[in-house]
Amino acid sequence: MSPEFKIFNATELWQKETSLPSIPTFSQKLDYILGSDGIPLGSLTELLGLPGTGKTQMCLQLCAAVQIPKALGGLNAEALFIDTNTNFVLDRFKEILSACLLKCQKLLNLPINANNEEALKKLHYVNAFGLEKFCALMHQLPKLIEENNIRLIVIDSIAFPFKEGISAKQRTGLLFRQMAELQRLAVEKQIAVVLTNEMSTRLGLSSGTVVGSLGDAWAHRCNIRLLLSAPDDPCGDRLALLLKSNIAPEAVAPFKITKEGIRDVN
Amino acid sequence: MQKLTSLDHTLLTKSVIKTLAYNNITTVFEFLQQDAEKLSTLTKLNLCQILDIRNNIFTKYSAPLVDGLFLLSKSATKKRYIDIGIESLNVVLGGGIPVGYITELCGLAGSGKTQLGFQLVVNCVRETENTILFIDTKGDFDAVRIQKILDNLGCSHQEMARALFKIKIVQIWTMEELIELFKKLKNKSVNIENLAMIIIDSLPCLMFQHFGDDNKIGLTYMNIFVNYCRYLCKNHDIGVLCINIQTRWVEQDITDYIDGKDQTYVEKQNRCLGKYWQHIPAVIILIERLKLDKPINVRNDGFHVKATVVRSNEIKLEQHCILTVDSLGVR
Repeated sequence: MSPEFKIFNATELWQKETSLPSIPTFSQKLDYILGSDGIPLGSLTELLGLPGTGKTQMCLQLCAAVQIPKALGGLNAEALFIDTNTNFVLDRFKEILSACLLKCQKLLNLPINANNEEALKKLHYVNAFGLEKFCALMHQLPKLIEENNIRLIVIDSIAFPFKEGISAKQRTGLLFRQMAELQRLAVEKQIAVVLTNEMSTRLGLSSGTVVGSLGDAWAHRCNIRLLLSAPDDPCGDRLALLLKSNIAPEAVAPFKITKEGIRDVN
Repeated sequence: MQKLTSLDHTLLTKSVIKTLAYNNITTVFEFLQQDAEKLSTLTKLNLCQILDIRNNIFTKYSAPLVDGLFLLSKSATKKRYIDIGIESLNVVLGGGIPVGYITELCGLAGSGKTQLGFQLVVNCVRETENTILFIDTKGDFDAVRIQKILDNLGCSHQEMARALFKIKIVQIWTMEELIELFKKLKNKSVNIENLAMIIIDSLPCLMFQHFGDDNKIGLTYMNIFVNYCRYLCKNHDIGVLCINIQTRWVEQDITDYIDGKDQTYVEKQNRCLGKYWQHIPAVIILIERLKLDKPINVRNDGFHVKATVVRSNEIKLEQHCILTVDSLGVR
């Protein structure tokens, strides 16, 4: 075993990074605070938030956005949705996808085609309930990627498979191993990885008691952490707070969830 | 274990080594353990010759004796610190990142460790011939960000290109790969010219992969890694900066609870990577994010961090400075 180490210089990486598109969230304000015009490829992005703050909606929106044709600067690719918690709702995805395709067709002056069967084929769905199924899937992932033109992997949610049957120490070890493998794949094939995570309560922390689950060590692992929140007042805006990023400063962007999916607040 | 074949002694011919191997003596250690007379009968060399080989081994492997004057002249001529281009941090560190030692940069998630790392990379390659090797274990390196920091410093396109060219990045995903890379750096099959510093961002990402295992493989890897690090530091005159993380845990203060007062919680912070690592770095820089009501001289998106040297090979300890992290970089 003697792997060849590819040592890049920063110029090469700069060229690579600037030539890659990102996956837009359909909220320009949110894209702007991310600093990369959307979810970047080759990175792990973590969506945090209490239930009902729009984590799954955001994932569905991204699964549709990855299909944007190349003519509009998109990836014209497919998405893999790993559902660990029965959060996926097909009808809702169809709604978001139709709206997304319609927008693209209008922009390209193409005839309106309401038949989305071809587009639906570009979503690959796996339900991985329980730790064993999840681990087995992660093991199969390289093969799945090889067979399809997948440029987005969504895991909704990362915390769920680890809720029982594993000690906290083993959990950390396993998670870091899986994430290393996943990111190696993501960097190699230029795939965006989006994970959702729940919030948990830790009493007595100086920085506030509600924090992302899976502990402090996990907080270091993802490249981008985005906290979503829903307003108490129904007229207020939903907010996305960028907690961590290596390219952009901490910032807040308002967004709304409409019938068509994630959109800007006017 | 060093093999006997690595000795290169005139008396240890191929046939002698073969005979020894036939008798289960293949390493230097096994050779030294054997009775000299037995070796003599086996190899058909006389006793003097066997003792000669032994002495040869001892001279080759024992550490050389040097006197204080030699050490002084050596330290006087050698470069001792890498100037990191941030005046206040240089002062706190006594000159910069020490050459020949392992330095640790430690802090909570989002405290600006990677940003400070980026800034060090930029400052070290700008206006010098230094090359920096950035070992990226979680895909955090961003060349566009580096270019923006350079741009904010007022560099021309030509200067930017020259600086970017001197930053080398390698992506490593496992401890095995890291050790393999360091091995290659040691035996120079991977050669980087004018290498001044190696930055590893971050070590726990690799070490945590062995967390919770029953075996001690993680610890073994860590030990090998530390040894390679020290060898490279001393013999190639470079500094190694490891980025480590902090985690928090909360203790309930029981005594207060019994007194019937409100429960109080004590937040403790813990440097990761285990007990063995705690004493490995010669210098530890701890950074924490400050919550100030009115940030001074910061763009609206920035924040202040406090950098404290909690361990150092100089006498003055616990010195700190305040740095600013914002879109322009770290100052």
